[in-house]
Amino acid sequence: MMLKEEYRTHTTYSGKGRFLTFPFFVFFLSFSFAITLDKTLETMSLADLATFTHLSAFAYGLSVGTFGLMGRQYLERRYGTSNYLVAMPYLLPLSFRTTFLGIFLRDAIFYVLLLLVPATLGLLASAPIMGFSVVSIFLFLVAATLSFMLGMSLSFLASVLFIRSTKVFLAFTAVLLALFSAQAVFQYPGFETLLPSLGFQMHVRPFAVDAEAAMLGILVALLLTSAMTALSFYLVEVRVSISSQSYPQKLPEYHSRIPIFSGLTLSLISKEMVDLRRSGTVPKMFFSFVLPMLFLSLTVWFVNYGLAIPVGFNAVFYAAMVGFVGTLMYNWLNNIDLSEYYSFLPVTVPQLIKVRIRVFLLLTIGISAFFVVAISILNGETELLWLALVVMFVTSLYMVVVMAYLTGLKTNTFLFDTSVLAKFAVLSFLPDVCLTILSFSLLSDWVAASLGIALVLGSMLVATRIMYKGIEARWAKAAFAS
Amino acid sequence: MAIIDARDIVMDFGGMKALNNVSITVGKGDFFGFFGPNGAGKTTLIRILTGQLEPTSGSVEVLGVDVVKDPLGVKRLIGIVPEVESPPTYLTAYEYLFFVGKVRNLDKLDDKIEKWLNFFDLESKKGTICKDMSKGMRQKLMLASAFIHEPELLFLDEPFINLDPIYQRLMREYLGDYVSNGGTIFMASHILEIAERLCNRLAIVNLGRVVAQGHKKDLLEAGESLERLFMRTVGGDSRRRIS
Repeated sequence: MMLKEEYRTHTTYSGKGRFLTFPFFVFFLSFSFAITLDKTLETMSLADLATFTHLSAFAYGLSVGTFGLMGRQYLERRYGTSNYLVAMPYLLPLSFRTTFLGIFLRDAIFYVLLLLVPATLGLLASAPIMGFSVVSIFLFLVAATLSFMLGMSLSFLASVLFIRSTKVFLAFTAVLLALFSAQAVFQYPGFETLLPSLGFQMHVRPFAVDAEAAMLGILVALLLTSAMTALSFYLVEVRVSISSQSYPQKLPEYHSRIPIFSGLTLSLISKEMVDLRRSGTVPKMFFSFVLPMLFLSLTVWFVNYGLAIPVGFNAVFYAAMVGFVGTLMYNWLNNIDLSEYYSFLPVTVPQLIKVRIRVFLLLTIGISAFFVVAISILNGETELLWLALVVMFVTSLYMVVVMAYLTGLKTNTFLFDTSVLAKFAVLSFLPDVCLTILSFSLLSDWVAASLGIALVLGSMLVATRIMYKGIEARWAKAAFAS
Repeated sequence: MAIIDARDIVMDFGGMKALNNVSITVGKGDFFGFFGPNGAGKTTLIRILTGQLEPTSGSVEVLGVDVVKDPLGVKRLIGIVPEVESPPTYLTAYEYLFFVGKVRNLDKLDDKIEKWLNFFDLESKKGTICKDMSKGMRQKLMLASAFIHEPELLFLDEPFINLDPIYQRLMREYLGDYVSNGGTIFMASHILEIAERLCNRLAIVNLGRVVAQGHKKDLLEAGESLERLFMRTVGGDSRRRIS
């Protein structure tokens, strides 16, 4: 039932056809990658590639497994006129543990079917051309699913701990960060220890076949996943907070204090600021940067030290990446609260989109700039800081306008629409590649690289202006209600 | 003069006709009741008349404004109380009314907020955020937000739902006075006893079609109640009881 619910939720947003083309998109990507594997293996070993893939599956699991938080969100507020099965214990003789088990299994099956299975089928389709072993591909699916489940259960446990005790959550996160940092700096403990599913992968075909080590890997992975999941179910707590607290009237205060803006824009921005403050979204936004930035740092480290490719990753490269990752904040802004009440007021969807872009830019000054400044200082590249900040601001502005133009107020759901995702991928990939390559050339040919960066940023600003104007026409007839 | 003039409205949701050639006329000073069984198309029509939804075909004028061409212009002039009470989660009662007042560019906003907080007995809850309010309190807040700019036309979708008997009576009195003072109301409701007392004109919709429309006194047969008229026109008597 919950699987049906999840499927219908997604198809409601982007339509059956468009949603169902998503696995085909993944299949096609995987197939394309597989038939060009020989080229990739010229610069990267198969073992490194497997490590990278498993870390990605693990990170993906981490991103979808925050059930402790999501469950509470589902229960605290309905999504428009929808109610979800997770809230059924209020009406039926069911326990919340049962429904949480339901959403855990639902998401495990749903995302494996949506991504890992089509990716594996893409590899299978390439097998007759590339001569891959079907058994190896099957073993890869098993191992990748385990990596994904490890990430999911770890994330579930962390979110449950966060709900129960901030101190325990921080301690738990610190231990995890310490382990992964130790791996990055001292190469100890090894990735195969941190991610036993990778250990399993490395001891089966097409790698060294060692049945005993493979069994150990798979058993530890299963045991860890089961233990973390069981502990999460044991600790999960439904704490729907209804409080009698009286809040100070912040909206009139913000309305009178926020400079520059006026009229309707000022009213909408003030309200967004109150929402941000009371919903506790700013720290969540901050931490949502940490995971992709850690992943990026890991990739950089992997390229520089793992593959021994001397690429000049610098503060300008990171600034562009911060700009790209920053679009997460726009997604957060669209998910703080429902916006149905706007239907009853003289406000249009494009007006609200444009206000959220402005709020996003205000947040960029704080959160994104913090990351760029911190990276510049840590890398000892403060002389590049001014350029890094310019790159970050322009990239952030461009990316948020691309995202807003393509997805409006329903960011995370429209990205499951294949046509939207493909457009988003093209529009973000091109400037991303240009800025990455130019940033690498900064140290060797500063003048040419700077001119190139200026040209790319200029083009991005022109594109931003065109799409910003296009928001009005594209979303004029959209409704606030779901 | 027609305040609401909707002609031949069709609303097609992917092959399912929620409204089929619906025409409605509401005059100034009418207390217009709009009734129908569940799923008959009442909320859909309200959403079309208030510029929230564009009809598949047909024309709609509200207060002389073409709703399809200028939905924002209509929303500036009217007050809407939706079927589901949905004020913003993180604003306090005071802040929501302040927000609505600022969006509608109202003068003497503080006085207006105080007036409606007092009327709905929300004064002591003005610092409570909507997430922490009861359904009744949220409904009162939605009502206050629709009344605060004193519009000349109100669209009310089940306005009495979640209100206790005290506030149902207060609302009846307020709405009666509002119409006496020249206001116009378009109300959808299932509470026929209250509606019968308040409405002077009405329409009944069934399966997306208007099956009765006109003055209450013309539609009701001698001694007939609104409930009987409703049952007669939508075939409610043929529905079986649970044995």
